[in-house]
Amino acid sequence: MSRGSQGHEFYITLFSPEGRLYQVEYAFKAVKTSGLTSIGVKGTDTVCLITEKRVPDKLIDEKSVTNLFNVSEKIGALTTGIPSDARALVTRMRYEAGEFRLKNGYYCPVDVLSKRMADLAQTNTQYYQMRSYGVETILCQYDDELGPLLYKLDPSGHYSGYKATASGVKEQEAINYLEKQIKKKADLNYDETIMLAIQTLQNVISQDFKPTDIEVGIVTKQDKKFHKLTNEQVDHYLNLIANRD
Amino acid sequence: MTDFALTTFSSKGKLLQIEYALNAVAKGDTAIGIKAKNGVVLVVEKKQSSILIEESSVQKIASLTDNIAATYAGLGPDFRVLSQQARKLVKKYDLKYQEEIFVQTLSRELAEDVQIATQRGGIRPFGVSILIAGYDEEGPHLVQLDPSGAYYSWKATAIGKQAKNAKAFLEKRYNADMEIEDAINTALLTLKEGFEGQITPTNIEVGVIRDDHVFRILPPSQVKDYLEELE
Repeated sequence: MSRGSQGHEFYITLFSPEGRLYQVEYAFKAVKTSGLTSIGVKGTDTVCLITEKRVPDKLIDEKSVTNLFNVSEKIGALTTGIPSDARALVTRMRYEAGEFRLKNGYYCPVDVLSKRMADLAQTNTQYYQMRSYGVETILCQYDDELGPLLYKLDPSGHYSGYKATASGVKEQEAINYLEKQIKKKADLNYDETIMLAIQTLQNVISQDFKPTDIEVGIVTKQDKKFHKLTNEQVDHYLNLIANRD
Repeated sequence: MTDFALTTFSSKGKLLQIEYALNAVAKGDTAIGIKAKNGVVLVVEKKQSSILIEESSVQKIASLTDNIAATYAGLGPDFRVLSQQARKLVKKYDLKYQEEIFVQTLSRELAEDVQIATQRGGIRPFGVSILIAGYDEEGPHLVQLDPSGAYYSWKATAIGKQAKNAKAFLEKRYNADMEIEDAINTALLTLKEGFEGQITPTNIEVGVIRDDHVFRILPPSQVKDYLEELE
């Protein structure tokens, strides 16, 4: 706390003397409390979202544990952060996408949804009523006009389109790894996109996966419906990567 | 619900939240605007933190209507929300008067929204300074709108990290007879002065309005030509 601050800026979204919003910065830290890392990769006609799947208790029905959601038939969402905040956001995204479809007669494109959700997130950084969500969301879609799209939204209300991105505990390591790989080859086909995503996660978590340890969601030019890969399909890719190395 | 105002006077009579908001602006990427006899130019730094970001998804110069555009220094999300509000103001005016809005009128109405955030309960000030560039019936305009809600017309100005140095540079080079082409060159030269690293057509954005009243963002190929001319 420097001279001039009354201490309030740590509890609500007021500016600190240096012009920072501490509550927003703390919300970013909350994203990492989940202990998980998520990756999104965009290829030439595929977008792949992947995250760790950790079931906290053996008695929990593992089908109910997920961070990968369908926001609409065509838009997939991957959330990282506080699980209850994530569920609230997914519900809101489904509502926004649904309203758009109702009012405008066509499926909400992911860039429009991203902007809307980001604008809502910005209000939490400016108005005192609600705190920011402790969640980073990665959205994907294969758009009829714009092709494969990958967006990331964060608690500050910022959003951007990406070729590849990551969220969570190992976010920076994953981004560094992805930057190196994308520099080498940016046009990825279906298999390459999925393999790069899985490989990145394996690399930063330095663990061997079983298919049940990860969730993989994809959307492609052929099949514009966002869906999750089955354990068998994931196993196939894990083997491909293991054999290659 | 917290409905009390937190932007309140300090014992010395200052509104500290506004000053802090200005500090947030002073940390932002530099933006420069120059008004010429026959047009206005906006030039802004667009530093991407990673090569993984799709450049086309991020636009720092936003068009508010055909003949008015804006850019900013400070918090990106705040600018996005304000530019959306500005677009709504344009449409409301158009609905009521069936006429193109004047730059001064738009600035005044947007400034009111910015000021409200410094006085009303439950809200913090916007953390952006905005440069509004337009060409209307009255001629070319360049307006700077600050987090306090104060706005002034400028001949040439800069906001963000390099504001002080850039304005000193501009004061020496500005003259009232400048044509738009000179203004574009001067703006790029000014940005280049304080630029960290190499200036390229893809790490800056250039927007121009000429006397045809149409705002355009220059494509990287054109920016490249201007940058080469500077050499």
